[in-house]
This record gives sequence, structure tokens and C-alpha cells, in this order.
Amino acid sequence: MKKMTWFLELAATVAVALALIPGGTPLLAVSAGDKPASGATVKIDNFSFGPADVSVPVGTTVTWTNNDDVPHVVASDDKIFKSKALDTDDHFSFTFTKPGTYAYYCAIHPKMTAKIVVH
Amino acid sequence: MHPFDFKSALLAKHAQHIVLIHFPIALFIAGVAFDLIALSTKRRSFADAAYYNLLLAAISTIPVLATGVLAWQFALEGQKLKGILLLHLVLACASTVMIWLIWWAHFRARRTQQALFNYYVAVELLAVALVSLTAHLGGFLSGVNAPG
Repeated sequence: MKKMTWFLELAATVAVALALIPGGTPLLAVSAGDKPASGATVKIDNFSFGPADVSVPVGTTVTWTNNDDVPHVVASDDKIFKSKALDTDDHFSFTFTKPGTYAYYCAIHPKMTAKIVVH
Repeated sequence: MHPFDFKSALLAKHAQHIVLIHFPIALFIAGVAFDLIALSTKRRSFADAAYYNLLLAAISTIPVLATGVLAWQFALEGQKLKGILLLHLVLACASTVMIWLIWWAHFRARRTQQALFNYYVAVELLAVALVSLTAHLGGFLSGVNAPG
């Protein structure tokens, strides 16, 4: 019985520690959830950006809202903007001050792509 | 992306973690399965198979953990985690510790020619549950069930 009681104790400690972690509850704060700004909005839902193509005038603030249960990161291809990991209902806003086409994707799920056209 | 486009696969940054993670999961579960068979059949060959599966599972956790941390750095730039991401990280670290401890217990038992501690099967099954939960969260995060 004494052979590896320390091992059992360690395993039990790990199990108890894990049991104490509340599922899905944020344990550390991340400042990802500002209120949505006025302007265009893009919803992140079901692993896609909607609408995928948005056309806005210069100076518009675009706000992304994550409606998925999974975290997403909004990142432009040319590294002009990048959000923190957005949990459910978190928002990210960026104001476009120059015309152009801004392709972006989700850094966690690179298959998710879309673009903002600023004119 | 073409399935054999190695350059894109390597540059996908965090994709390696998603590929490599299958090795410790499969090897560990197979190791435990062989161990249970060895326990019931008392055949040495199954015990050997269990030992080497557990050994390879433990070794394969190293690149998996490394690529997981790299994914955290590449995709999220090392920002503080919360929610499912944090839970996945904590469970992954705990799973890694459990896999290494279970392999070490087998290694020690073989080297000293002693029987494993009582209730070790329960600990192994607990570890399998832990690994499965971690894998479930990882799959959820990766969007493997996402449309398209």
C-alpha cells in the first residue's frame, strides 16, 4: 500500500484542483468587451462573419460582435487591426480612416475570412 | 488549401498543434486499453504494448505542448486567457502531468519488478477522462464541428 501512495495523493490533488475550476467561467479578465460603437456592424456567428463583405465610407467605425459560443479573433491580413480573443457577446471596434480593401480573418480559425471595403 | 501543400501547412502557425495532438490522445488511450487487457489476460505482451504506448504518449506530449504554447503566441500574441481557452490550457497541462506520471509509475514498476499501486486502474481511467475532456474542448475551440 505504501509503494506509491504519494502518486495517488498527487493524482487526487490534481483531480480536486480540476473539480474546483468552474466550467466556462472566466478566471482571468481580458478587456475585449467594449460597447459597440455606432457605424457598421459585423456579426460573428456559426464560424462565419456576417455580412462577409461590408462597404463603408471613410471614417466609419465597424464593430464586430461575437455571437458564437467559441472565442474568435478579428485580425486583418495586413496587420492593421487585431482584436483580443472575443468571447460570447464581446465586441471589437475599429475606425477606418483610409480608403481601401481590408481583408481579415479569425486568427484562431483561419478558414473564417471576410473583407471591409472603405470608399 | 491543397491537402499536400506543406508550405501552407507549416505556415498556418497553429495548425501543427491540431495535427500533433492526435498522437498522445490515441497512444495514451491505446496504452490504457492494452494495460486493461494485460490485467485481465495476464499476458506479458499486452503489458509491454501498454508500456511502450504510454512511453510514446508521454514523449509526444512535448511537441504538442510546445505547439500549443506557440499557437497561443501566434494567434493570440500571448494575451491572458479566460473561459474555454484557459480551461483548455489548464486541462492540457494536467493531462500532460497525468500521462507522464502514469508512464513513470509503469517504468518504476518494471524496473523494480514490483506490482503497481492499488487502484492504479482508477487513476488511469481518471486520466483518460481528463484527456478526453481536454480533447473535447480542443475540438470545440478548433471549430471541427463548424459548417463547411
